[in-house]
Amino acid sequence: MTEHPEAIRLDGVTKRYDHGVAPAVADVSLAVAAGDAVAIMGPSGSGKSTLLNLIAGMDRPTSGVIRVGGQRVDRLSETAAARFRRRQVGTIFQFFNLLDDMTVIENVLLPAQLAGTPAAAARRRAGELLATLRIAHRRDAYPARLSGGERQRVAIARALVNRPAVLLADEPTGAVDTATGEEIGALLRDLNAAGQTLILVTHNPDLAARYSRRVVAIADGRIASDTGALR
Amino acid sequence: MTAVIRAARGGIARRKLQVVIIGVVLLAATATSVVALGLLANANGPFDRAFARQNGADLTAAVDPSAASRSQIAATARLAGVTAAAGPYPGVLVTAEVTVPGVPGSSPDSLRLAGRSSPGGPVDDLTLDEGHWPDGGNQIVMDRGTGVFPGSTVTAGSQKLTVVGVADSVTGTADAWVLPSELSALAGPGNPVQEQMLYRFASAGSTSAITADIAELRAALPRGALLNNPVSYLGVRQSEQSDIAPWVPFIIAFGVIALVISVLIVVNVVSGAVTAGTTRIGVLKSIGFTPAQVVASYVLLVAVPALAGCLAGDGLGNLLAIPLLTVNAHVYQVGALGVPFWIDVAVPLATLALTVIGAVPPALRAGRMSAIQAIASGRAPRPSHGYRAHRMLARINSLPRTVTLGLAAPFARPARTVTTVVAILFGAAAVTFGAGLALSLGRVVTDNPNTALPVSVSLSQAGPAQPAMTAAQQRSVVSVLAAQPGTLRYLTQTGGQVSLPGLSDSASVTAYGGGNPAWSGYALISGRWYSGGVAEADVNTLFLTDTGTSVGSAYTLGSGRHRVTVRIVGEVFDPGKNLDLYLSPATLAAIAPGTTGPGQYDVAVRPGVSPAAYANAVSAALGRSYQAYASTGQNKTLTAVLALIAMLTILITVVAGLGVLNTVALQIRERAHEIGVFKSIGMTPRQTLAMIVCSVAFIGLAAGIAAIPAGVYLHHGVVPVMAHAANSGYPASLISVYATWQLILLALAGLVIAVAGALGPAGWAAGTRTAFALRAE
Repeated sequence: MTEHPEAIRLDGVTKRYDHGVAPAVADVSLAVAAGDAVAIMGPSGSGKSTLLNLIAGMDRPTSGVIRVGGQRVDRLSETAAARFRRRQVGTIFQFFNLLDDMTVIENVLLPAQLAGTPAAAARRRAGELLATLRIAHRRDAYPARLSGGERQRVAIARALVNRPAVLLADEPTGAVDTATGEEIGALLRDLNAAGQTLILVTHNPDLAARYSRRVVAIADGRIASDTGALR
Repeated sequence: MTAVIRAARGGIARRKLQVVIIGVVLLAATATSVVALGLLANANGPFDRAFARQNGADLTAAVDPSAASRSQIAATARLAGVTAAAGPYPGVLVTAEVTVPGVPGSSPDSLRLAGRSSPGGPVDDLTLDEGHWPDGGNQIVMDRGTGVFPGSTVTAGSQKLTVVGVADSVTGTADAWVLPSELSALAGPGNPVQEQMLYRFASAGSTSAITADIAELRAALPRGALLNNPVSYLGVRQSEQSDIAPWVPFIIAFGVIALVISVLIVVNVVSGAVTAGTTRIGVLKSIGFTPAQVVASYVLLVAVPALAGCLAGDGLGNLLAIPLLTVNAHVYQVGALGVPFWIDVAVPLATLALTVIGAVPPALRAGRMSAIQAIASGRAPRPSHGYRAHRMLARINSLPRTVTLGLAAPFARPARTVTTVVAILFGAAAVTFGAGLALSLGRVVTDNPNTALPVSVSLSQAGPAQPAMTAAQQRSVVSVLAAQPGTLRYLTQTGGQVSLPGLSDSASVTAYGGGNPAWSGYALISGRWYSGGVAEADVNTLFLTDTGTSVGSAYTLGSGRHRVTVRIVGEVFDPGKNLDLYLSPATLAAIAPGTTGPGQYDVAVRPGVSPAAYANAVSAALGRSYQAYASTGQNKTLTAVLALIAMLTILITVVAGLGVLNTVALQIRERAHEIGVFKSIGMTPRQTLAMIVCSVAFIGLAAGIAAIPAGVYLHHGVVPVMAHAANSGYPASLISVYATWQLILLALAGLVIAVAGALGPAGWAAGTRTAFALRAE
């Protein structure tokens, strides 16, 4: 594993929302190699989603250092963090977070448009992703018309449209049935096999074991175990 | 009830921004309405109070004693419709010289004298301001309006009278009073004494009632005994209307605009609270709230801050009205004027009622909402509109995606968008209207001799009236003016007073000579300026109204015993309480043969020349026997009114901006999660700001463009009403004030209001952390 450069590195990261209350994330240090697939596992309220938000630059740690692709993200301004997210990370959520009033293609195109990608290039990339994710036939449908699995595939396409270095998945199968969950899991595994770094947050040990190469367990905001920590 | 109050209190605590907005907009609406109604109620208040206190005459009649005996005249007091009468008092028109102690020289003046043994009586109970009533020969009491004070002397023919007092007649039944026994000697030979009768009638509230009263009076007297048209208090009331009356119409217009915007904002606030509070409504119902209690809790949510805003607005309105009312009270000496109590009660109640009525429909929607559905949805219902707009706008590649996202937002909630557009439209219309008013009032200032002919040159030894210059003095002035490089042009001006048969008031005469009278700066409403020949005159609107004449009419003017019939050739824009007459020096000389020459020269200076510096130069050249004054061109009243217009316009735009702020705050509250998603996929704070601002910018621009005709229409409707309240018609230049470039600029008002209103909440949304926004529901 050491031959791979680090995609993500956290050093002593703590996130505290309120004083006098236990931190959501406490002194977490973690390194993830490029191309790896890491499952962050833990019960509800253990701090795994908070950790994902910190890696995505959607929140700032109270203390500690976070680097993604060599770039320090823990002190970025909101503008710099937005630019960082455009290029470095793609995020998929448990409840998809698709925009209801936009069609599938519009949802997928949006990050590219925000990043200022030329329209033709963005459309080409979105078309490729929709085809790869076998959702091209629903490109003009609104999210409300899609099944849970279709919605999550659209969310994955949207997350990947700007070719991010890291794909962050927060309970990606939490809102779909078992069969669809399997399908989504397989899709993520295929993406990782193609070289996409993947961080998968889940509370499901079976999912973590099947679709990742490394499992980091979190309890009360601290790393309880790690099956393959980098040195 | 306690539960409803607790629920409302909880709602208020959760919506501090909306609560503040409701309070502020209702403060503005109530304050504007209180000022408008307070001024309206007091526009005629001082006159009416003085009229009631003095038992003012509904009708002042002049009767020819050669056509009716004193007993016939006295018998008219017992006519069926007459409730009180005074007289007959002997009356006569004389030309008198008034000398004021400490002021050199004297001035000839036409005085309407009445002979009364005492100031009191059942009608026209005079108010004695100073001194005492004549108790012997050669004593006279002057009317307050003449400005002559005790100790002065009045010389009429060979009679010299001492002014012993100052009195006031609310309907101006005379310029001065003497004992009845003095009248014949003062009239002199060939100047017939008339009999004056003063009446109060059971029915005198309208022009038709007064006309009927006059007909009854005319029928009771021998044919031809009733001279001219008796003077009705209604005409005096109209012409004596207070100085603030012209300002009432525009304040009312601003008040109505503020009220409309307030109601629209309240509707938006409550609708937004219902939409955002779906879960809360479900919970309230699930724990036993009836639909009526839910409605009550939402109405209370608005009523509490609305009440606070109304009460504060009432106080502010009183504070704003007091300075304007004080001026009016001083003129009539009727003590302190204030906003009537009924207005202090009625306006806040009416504003509050309107607010509550506006809140009821969306609150009813909350009351009807199904508890299960509300709880099950778990969050505010997503808008179901605007998908097509989103899709169409997404295809526009020439615009940044953040812009098209923003432009599509108004289509998601069409009802809210419409109310916001209307609120911005009213705000922007107020800007166009306010700007137009300012431009029109600017014309009032510029269409005036003080601006057109800012320098006046006269003799230093000024008395009560300007002494006439001799031919040699005129030559001196002309040579100095000709030598000044800054001289553009000048007119001679001769002033005087002429009596108007059948009217209580005399008219001020201004004779411009030595050039085109149009140089005076006065705008003509209709007709043309008089030519140099005899027997043509221009008059102001009040003159036409009071004398029942029109442009083209012939009218007989008198000064002392001289009578000249002139043709009215033009209507001059000269608003106010005075009857004004403009004619050539030759015509004035025919009416008042004693007029020997101009009293002053009015000079226009070349562009770039300072009137003050010019006046100093002329003064230095002419020496101490002459004085040259430069008008500052400033009008304190107009300056105050312009400030009031600016303040009201700003107030309305702030209120409209608060409406936008409320809409955007609601939008952000409802779309917080969506904004979080945008941010999570890379939308920067600047892009977020742009998206939110664009969500109201287009509708602001559209509303601003639509507001132009609305504001212009309002201006064109209100300015004539203001002119009418100032006893005047209006020239076209007072209405056609908007230049194209100004309209284009004004069309941006809606955009400015929208952007200014959106910036605050948009900035907040832009700066919110992504994770925080994503957690929002």
